[in-house]
Amino acid sequence: MKNENKLKGRDLINIGIYSAIYFVILFAVAMLGMIPIFLPLLSVLVPILGGIPFMLFLTKVKKPGMIFIMAMIMGILMLLTGMGPWPLLTCAIAGVLAEICFKSGEYKSAKKAVLCYGLFSMWIFGNYLPLFTDYEGYFAQRADYGQAYIDAVSKLMPLWMAPVLLAACFVCGLLGGLLGRAILKKHFEKAGLA
Amino acid sequence: MAYSSAQAQEKRRGFLDPRTKLALVLVLAVFVMGGLGGGQLRQIKTVLSALPFLLLLAERQWSRFAKGLAILAIGYGLLLAMPYLPGVLNYIALMCGGILTRFVVTVVMGEYLVATTSVSEFISAMERLHMPQTITIPMSVMFRLFPTIGSEWRSIRRAMAMRGIHLGGVKGGQVLEYQLVPMMTSTVRIGEELSASALTRGLGAPVRRTNICRIGFRAQDFVLLAGCLFVIAVWILELGGVKLW
Amino acid sequence: MVELKNVSFRYGSEEGHEYGENSLSGVSISVREGEFVLLTGPSGCGKTTVLRLINGLIPHFYPGFLEGEVLIDGKAVGSQKLYDTALQVGTVFQNPRSQFYNVDTTGELAFGCENRGLPEQEIYRRIDDTVARLGIEALMDRNIFRLSDGEKQKIACAAVSVAGAGIILLDEPSANLDYEATLALRKLILEWRKEGKTIVAAEHRIAYLWDLIDRAVILRDGKIIRELIGEEKNALTPEALAGMGLRSTIQESPGSVGLPSVLNEDETLTLTDFHFCYPGSKTPVVNLPTLSLAAGEITAITGRNGAGKTSLLNCICGLEKRCNGVLKYRDRTYNRKARQKLCFMVMQDTGNQLFTESVLEEVLISLPKGTENEKEQAAGILRALDLDQYLDRHPQSLSGGQKQRLAIACALASGREIIMLDEPTSGLDHAHMLETAALLKQLKARGITILVVTHDSELIRACCTRQYTIE
Repeated sequence: MKNENKLKGRDLINIGIYSAIYFVILFAVAMLGMIPIFLPLLSVLVPILGGIPFMLFLTKVKKPGMIFIMAMIMGILMLLTGMGPWPLLTCAIAGVLAEICFKSGEYKSAKKAVLCYGLFSMWIFGNYLPLFTDYEGYFAQRADYGQAYIDAVSKLMPLWMAPVLLAACFVCGLLGGLLGRAILKKHFEKAGLA
Repeated sequence: MAYSSAQAQEKRRGFLDPRTKLALVLVLAVFVMGGLGGGQLRQIKTVLSALPFLLLLAERQWSRFAKGLAILAIGYGLLLAMPYLPGVLNYIALMCGGILTRFVVTVVMGEYLVATTSVSEFISAMERLHMPQTITIPMSVMFRLFPTIGSEWRSIRRAMAMRGIHLGGVKGGQVLEYQLVPMMTSTVRIGEELSASALTRGLGAPVRRTNICRIGFRAQDFVLLAGCLFVIAVWILELGGVKLW
Repeated sequence: MVELKNVSFRYGSEEGHEYGENSLSGVSISVREGEFVLLTGPSGCGKTTVLRLINGLIPHFYPGFLEGEVLIDGKAVGSQKLYDTALQVGTVFQNPRSQFYNVDTTGELAFGCENRGLPEQEIYRRIDDTVARLGIEALMDRNIFRLSDGEKQKIACAAVSVAGAGIILLDEPSANLDYEATLALRKLILEWRKEGKTIVAAEHRIAYLWDLIDRAVILRDGKIIRELIGEEKNALTPEALAGMGLRSTIQESPGSVGLPSVLNEDETLTLTDFHFCYPGSKTPVVNLPTLSLAAGEITAITGRNGAGKTSLLNCICGLEKRCNGVLKYRDRTYNRKARQKLCFMVMQDTGNQLFTESVLEEVLISLPKGTENEKEQAAGILRALDLDQYLDRHPQSLSGGQKQRLAIACALASGREIIMLDEPTSGLDHAHMLETAALLKQLKARGITILVVTHDSELIRACCTRQYTIE
């Protein structure tokens, strides 16, 4: 039985295929995020659009570990593109939670799949963490930009935004999961991909 | 003269080992973007911020260098102009400037890493860092698929132009669906064929994979790695209340 | 020695149900060491399935229900691991774009050996040896995405050589290749013959290897209908070949068909100032100060790989922003944007130009706004193209030929007067090629101008009336 659950070459390649599609969507949205006003939108758009490839990915997941590996890969890629080590941490946590959730549905429950993606999406919060981890220190450093600067930033990104963004990731993840299920039914199942 | 793959590989070797680049990305992300460390580290941070730009110059990535510099200039420009701007514009300039100056350094470093590291160099570095195949195989598939996704995407957009499907045109609201679905369908199909081909060539065999690309630490790697250690040491000493200057 | 003993196979799901029809029934083939066997027959005859059984992709990658035995040197392929079979068998696949794993050519050649953990020096030695023998120095250390399909296929063959397996399988390797590239592939196969490799090839285009093979096995509906050895294969008449659903055995350059490009009495469409080069390049791919093509005819556009055939179609269609030429047709001048509404192209990846969830919907969105009786109109067009039994099918689930017809249905629905096709018969068997030819004739009868980029001389002979060769 243990051998059955071991990830094989094909499983690993599948992780690669869907991570690539997910990352391309993430990257396209992040390009919008370069315009800073759109930064908070990352936690809305990425979970919603990413649900499309992720729900298709889940139809290929039949063994433990695949979701967690995808999460860790996202963490590593964030590290490589200069988003810092915090996403690695949130990816690990979100990955484990999503993994447990989907396993509890025996890798086929549709409801668990949506919930699983909601949990998975919470990794995105890691990208915001450097803004919040050292909130005071951040402003102390920027004191020379003047009080106006500090006021403005703390108005746009106040500390209470942290839990809001985290919740947004989760809720939009659920929405994205539902969207993904709909597209799966409408297209991918009929096209013979799922 | 006959072709020699060994010599060709040596010639293609990059200036830095990918592991050194990785260490630099990390240190920059933690200290410059993450804002870790107090007053003493400020001068060091200035030096650190210049590093990715110098590296881009060393590898002759002129256009990337210019792009990074331009973003940085816009960021500082906005911050300088900010006090003279009225009301809402003031906030927007501030926000944009703050985020740009903060993110650009690490993003440029990340871009340097991505631009100057070949896929096989990267995978080989990951293996030397004892990353398991369960991570390295999916990642190598991803890097292989990025250009494919790009070209499928372009071909779909052309097809849409020809069919007259565009924002505001026929079924404008569904443009995204029309774009994403065929893109995913063809990427998944290509991926499946890719899997089949890779598996018939022994991918996933339980042996230690060889990797023919040349990596390894040289003088420049040791200098930069020592630099990273120095930054961390200063920070730890500072935490312990020791001031070096 | 490869043996299939009374093998039957059905594709199916991993759970063990949903079996379709038998892909193979009771097939027995044995291939001696050093022999070159060709498997051929119409689409769906089971030739690719035979190859998948030999390289172990069945049952390890494509699950299903298997009876009988598949043995390599007396050992069952199904019970050994795929990576062990990889030591004995190397495969070149049909699609040059999807079978390479690396982005650079050298890495691709090394890939098989790297997976087995061979020492670095040994891998270098093998690569250098193969590169010298196959004469592909110019392809080394290149980005595979910048190679032509012919060059990619050469790299795929070289990768099999470097891995050093004794049995080589070829799964329609020439499907995407032009005439010259096919000849180059033939040379590689000759090299393998000299080395004494065992070769099994599945092909529709049999002309380029017909005189090299020891034996031809002809399949139909999953059964062997004929085996031809030695003189038998040379004695076949074209009628007998067509009767078995086979393509011609005579290798003919598409340029040598020799149709006129425009006749004096032809109504013409005229291209003026068509120039195009890829971004960052100074060499023009398309460079036509002026060109006249026959309106209302079927013009074959031929020329070497890389001669700019596909780019020319893109320019005519108005898909290249960098091409500022104009087209004159029936006393009207069309600029780039206007051409997007006049012309339609059936692309090589037809799947990328179908967007909706059903065949009917696909045609409905193509009809001009405000069309009356939309549904009847759409159904009428689909009926004319023999697609009316698939109204509710998802376009992506159709076969290649059906997707082509659906794309043409969309072109008709949106009233396009010029339809272009890019290599419509690559990978099609004799019967499907004739179907495409008949379809083009039907379009011609409707007064539509057809331009078809092709290297298929049989298609040109079957339906084209004009020919333009790009130098």
